[in-house]
Parts: sequence; structure tokens; C-alpha cells
Amino acid sequence: MAKRLAAWVDYALALIVLLAAWWFATGPMEMPTYLLPSPLRTWNALVGIAVTGELWVHLGFTLQNIVLGLVLGCVAGIALAYLMTRFPKLAVWLDGPLVILQTAPKIALAPLFVVWFGFGILSKIILIFSLVFFPVFIGAVAGFRSLDPKMKDLAKLLGLSTFQRFRQIELPSAMPEVFVGLKIGAVQALVGAVLAEWMSGKFGLGYLMTFASATYKTPLLFAAVLMTVVLGLLLHVMLTMLENRLLSWKSAKK
Amino acid sequence: MAQSERMIDIAGVHKTFVADHGTVTALEPVSITIKAGEFISIVGPSGCGKSTLLRLISGLDQASGGTITLDTAGRKRPVGFVFQEPVLLPWKTIIENVRFPLDTAGVSRAQSDKIALDLIKMVGLDGFEKALPRQLSGGMRQRAAIARSLSDDPPILLMDEPFSAVDLMTRDTLNDELLRIWQSTGKTILLVTHSVDEAAYLADRVMVMTARPGKLKCIHNVDLARPRGEETKLDPAYHALVAQLRRDLRTSGGEAH
Repeated sequence: MAKRLAAWVDYALALIVLLAAWWFATGPMEMPTYLLPSPLRTWNALVGIAVTGELWVHLGFTLQNIVLGLVLGCVAGIALAYLMTRFPKLAVWLDGPLVILQTAPKIALAPLFVVWFGFGILSKIILIFSLVFFPVFIGAVAGFRSLDPKMKDLAKLLGLSTFQRFRQIELPSAMPEVFVGLKIGAVQALVGAVLAEWMSGKFGLGYLMTFASATYKTPLLFAAVLMTVVLGLLLHVMLTMLENRLLSWKSAKK
Repeated sequence: MAQSERMIDIAGVHKTFVADHGTVTALEPVSITIKAGEFISIVGPSGCGKSTLLRLISGLDQASGGTITLDTAGRKRPVGFVFQEPVLLPWKTIIENVRFPLDTAGVSRAQSDKIALDLIKMVGLDGFEKALPRQLSGGMRQRAAIARSLSDDPPILLMDEPFSAVDLMTRDTLNDELLRIWQSTGKTILLVTHSVDEAAYLADRVMVMTARPGKLKCIHNVDLARPRGEETKLDPAYHALVAQLRRDLRTSGGEAH
């Protein structure tokens, strides 16, 4: 407990130093607002859009796309990895196309997604999905392949159905590797979500950024950037909590 | 104990594997009839096919020929199997692991909990129901594995070197507990081991197997009094049998101890 408290104190101190430096640059050093708005102005901009409700619309939109993309990417990544380990023939066929898709820079494909799937939510979700899918897929393949053969013997002895086998043995034992992929995927999802909103549409934190920079509202731009940082932290905390819940059996002896 | 009904009938069962350079004989034809409630030990050097024989009986592998008949009245899970390692599911607690065969067979929670708790008590793990496998020692994990193999009450228990990974002291204790469990449940047990002492101490009959190719060399009846304990280990008949088993293994050029 004392250790955790000390960690929090450290975090707080680091944050205070950062804020002080920021304030120093805008106050005594007199940096112009259009380059670097003061902490107070940024805060006011943030409170401004929070009060009008604009912030929640944009934040909600971005968060919703990230969560949808993460869930869909996860389910699809795990499903394909499972099918490929169950049917090795499938792995032989799909290996080539998957390597090409995997190495293709998804960010560069983003404009293409807009052309194909329009300016709406679909193209955004597909971009996020494509960024989440591969790390999860690769983690899941590694997880399914590393299954202890003795566990397979156990499943066979107990005469488990395919579903029982997957639900009770294969999926839980692959979970640590899936999580490695998911954590990479979550960072990518945030990048993808913001990028997709830069390119098209009228919603989301990415849109708020392009709007603020186009109209030289630097405090608003800063507020939007800050919100993406907060969103990133929030995702990290959520995943860590989920990991602690699901993988507590794996952690070191206490 | 000594009912005359046949539990396992093995007739001319053999196993060959197809390898890169031709076929390899893992097990030459074996025939033996095992009575219900009998305790059989199987000793032999590495590569004598003793584990193969267990896997064939359990249905994990298919024999290349011959027949294995189990008198288990069409049960879905006629055998319990204890592996060399515990093979517990590391994300489940001890009671969840012991209950696992029941849970996956659709037994109600109230009933399965009762059975699991009784078994946990029988193998001496009471108080560790909610512990995860990694929190237990190797010997305790193996006890949990034994409890799991008994939880859906199979008439036959197959054990593949179950105590080879635990220290000698624990091994002696576990052997005595195994005898106690066997006597209280009346299971038919086949136990594969490297140790001739263990084989002689536990069994009604000892199957001696030799390697390359794996085959059954001979079967010894063990006429030591039951229940067995420390005094059994002082019995000259016990020592004579152990010495005989050693000779059997040595003349075959095996590497057993």
C-alpha cells in the first residue's frame, strides 16, 4: 500500500513539474498563444466545450469507434487464428495473402478505405479493425500453437465437445498471448481512430483537432490533444484491469 | 477385493509407428487379463512401451492390431488417467480442477461440489480448495490430479509414472495414500513406474517389460500380505521379489534402476 502511494506521489510530482514548465514558457517567457496557449487558456477551452456538450459528442464518437474496432478485431483475430490451427490446410492457403495484408501499411490504405466505404462510420471502423486484427491474430496463433499436448490428451480423455475444448482449455491457455497482441492493438486503434477522423466526417476528437487548427484556435487544439492522451491512458487502465482479472493465475507468486 | 470378473481383457495388442526410415515397433503383441479391483504395476526401462500400453487402454492412441475389451458397461469415460505431470488447468482453482470432469459432463453444481470436496479431503488437500495450482508444491498438485481422475468415478485408474517428479519422501507418503485410496474405492489400477521397489510394494501383480522392441517379458504375482506398510518393506519376501525384478530387468540389458 505504501509502495502504491509512493508511486502516486511520483506521478503527481512529475505532472506538476511538467505543468510548471508549461506555465513558465507561456507566462514569464511570453510564448504567443497561437504557438503555445497557457495551461489556463487550454483548460478554459476544454471547460468551454465540456459545458456546451460538444466535447462529449466528439469523445463519445471516438471512444465508440475504438471499442467497436477493438471488439470486432479481437473476435475476428481469435476466430481466424483458431480456425487456422484447427485446419492446417487453411493455414497453408491463407499464409501468403495474410503476410501481404499484414505488412501493408494500414495507415496508407486509409484514404482507400474512405473511397470504398464512404465518409461515415464504416470506413473508420474498418481502419481501426485492420489495425487491431493483426496483432491479436498473431498473438492468438502463437497462443493456440503453444497449447500443452497433455492438455489435448486431457480433453480427449474427458471426451470434451469442440466447444467445451475451446471454451475451457484452448481459449484460456491462449489468453496471455492474445493479450500481448491486444495491448499493441489498442494503441494502434487510438491512432487509427484519430487519423480516420482527420480525413473525413464531422465528429470525433480527430475532427476537433483539424477544425481547431484550421481556425487557429490553438487552445482548443491543445484541449483536443490532451483528451486523446487521456483516452489513451483510459484504454491502458481498462486493459490492465481486464488483464489482472483474466490472467491473475499467471502473475508471479505473492 | 479379488472378484473373479474380468475388468480389462488385452489380447494380442501391438503398436507400430511409421517413422522416416520404415516402421518402428513400439509394442510387440501383449496379452493379459486383469480382474476387477486388481492393482497392477508395470516396470521397465525407457522405450519398453509401458506408457504406450496405457495410452492404448485409455483410448488416447489406437492399437495397430489386437483387441482391448473393457468391462465398463458402455460408460462414456471408463478410465481415469494420471499423467507424469499433474496437467491441472492453471487458471482454475483446485476445487474447479477436481470438479472439471463433472462440470463438463453436466453434473449439477451442488452434487459436483460435494464429490469434489470429499475427494480433496481424501487426498489430504482440505484447506486448499480455493488455491491455484501454482501455489501448491509438486506433490500437492499430483494429489489434486489424482482427485480429478477419480471425480467422475471411473472403474479403472491408469497412472503413468505419477510420482516420478516428486521427491523420495513425498513419494513414499503418496504411495501409502494411493494404497489407502485403492482399498477404499476398489478401483482397478494400472501403474507404470521406473521403480521396482514401488512396483513390488504396491501391486498384486507386476508386469516386467523390456525395450527395443517393447514387449512383455514376464508377470510376477506378489503374495505379500495386505494392508501393506512399513513392515512390508522389512519382509524378506519383498526383498526377494525386488531382487528378482532387478535381475529380470538387468538380463534384458535395460537401463532401469
